Amino acid sequence: MEIIICVGSSCHLKGSHKVIKELERLIKENNLEDKVVLKASFCMGHCTQGVCATLNGKPVNCLTKNNVEEFFYENIAGRVTP
Amino acid sequence: MDFYVDAFYESLNKYNEELCGDKVEIIRNRESVIVVLADGLGSGVKANILATLTSKIIGTMLKKGADLEEAVDTIAQTLPICNVRKLAYSTFTILQIFKNGEAYLVEFDNPTIFFLRQGKLLEIPFEFRNIDGKSVRECRFNIGVGDTIVMVSDGVIHAGVGASLNLGWKWENVADYLLDNVKSHMPAREISQSLVEVCNHLYGQKPGDDATVVAVTIREPLEVSMMAGPPVSREDDSKVVEKFMSDTGKKVVCGGTTAQIVARELGRKIETTMEYYDENVPPIAYIDGIDLVTEGVLTLTKVVDIINKHVTSNGKGTNKDGLEGKDGAICLARMLMDDCTHLKLYIGRAINPAHQNPDLPIDLSIKLKLLEELAQLMTALGKRVEKYYF
Repeated sequence: MEIIICVGSSCHLKGSHKVIKELERLIKENNLEDKVVLKASFCMGHCTQGVCATLNGKPVNCLTKNNVEEFFYENIAGRVTP
Repeated sequence: MDFYVDAFYESLNKYNEELCGDKVEIIRNRESVIVVLADGLGSGVKANILATLTSKIIGTMLKKGADLEEAVDTIAQTLPICNVRKLAYSTFTILQIFKNGEAYLVEFDNPTIFFLRQGKLLEIPFEFRNIDGKSVRECRFNIGVGDTIVMVSDGVIHAGVGASLNLGWKWENVADYLLDNVKSHMPAREISQSLVEVCNHLYGQKPGDDATVVAVTIREPLEVSMMAGPPVSREDDSKVVEKFMSDTGKKVVCGGTTAQIVARELGRKIETTMEYYDENVPPIAYIDGIDLVTEGVLTLTKVVDIINKHVTSNGKGTNKDGLEGKDGAICLARMLMDDCTHLKLYIGRAINPAHQNPDLPIDLSIKLKLLEELAQLMTALGKRVEKYYF
């Protein structure tokens, strides 16, 4: 599974750094380092809906440091086994 | 001969003084680069005024083509006379380097300069001359790429007097330090900052006198091409990238969308890293064949901030720390200050609609303004700047 977070200027200001930190923590806590690849990308072109990301190529929008945990357990943790 | 004169200076104030009694002027005109270091009598306000007048008068007069006698004569007649000492006095060193590689050096009561060539200290064959009762020594010589010239005020030579060293540091010891530490092609900034730092240590962070180091290095021209912002018209993308790639110097791409355009046009991959060295600066990326790929506005804001500090510091308050680090902005600022003598700016003027969002905490639509500011700062540092708009 591959998740790419946008670190373009706009998403950066909306908190990509914190989203990445959260995801790094969650992946580690759930021992998914081998299963989930976390990457960064410059502007994905959906700046108004930041923080943007893609999960296995599919766009995910409006991530924040507050909803990223929920997103992680709903879409990532449940779908892969450590 | 094609060369670039890299000049930078750094000063220490005498402990508890707000003003520095040493003053440096670096003037660039079409024929030459003129560097003047003046050290005013005493310290504090009085010394500062004497040194400022001296360096400004000499610098301005030589720049306008006056000869040395006239300049010295003017100083002798204009400097205010110190009430305590009944003297109007400021020492000075003048170095003028012409486009053809000829150099003219004049010293009056300052420590003799250090001239380093290929790891050796060269002796300077001075001729002595009397101007208005002042014994002035002068010399004409030729410089070459790789030469380093270091001018110091006596506060450097006397560093540590009565504190860590009985007799101070002495000229020979400074020379040894330079021979051990200065490598050819080291940026002037690094030389002046490191030498001043050593002085400060010898003084135990409480300088007993104003101390100033001016480093001048003769370097080969170094070109940096920087592309920032997508062209207004998409049809121009390939043309701009092609022109940008045909440059021979180092290449920098600033801005996420711009980076994507460059990668697309070159048919290369773009790899964005995830390392945050500074939380406020987005991570950098890699594209094959490009020396540095950074985010745009936020990175540029910090770059302009760093360089601005160096330009406006008057040799004060800058430290190497500002340029030590790994985030995109520091990497770029360091490249522009130390490894760039000629900057080619490819400025794309397309407006990013997402940056017009009033909800964002910082105004992102200021890229053009930042680039103009950067161009001005680079010019102030004596670098040649070319701008192309798309």
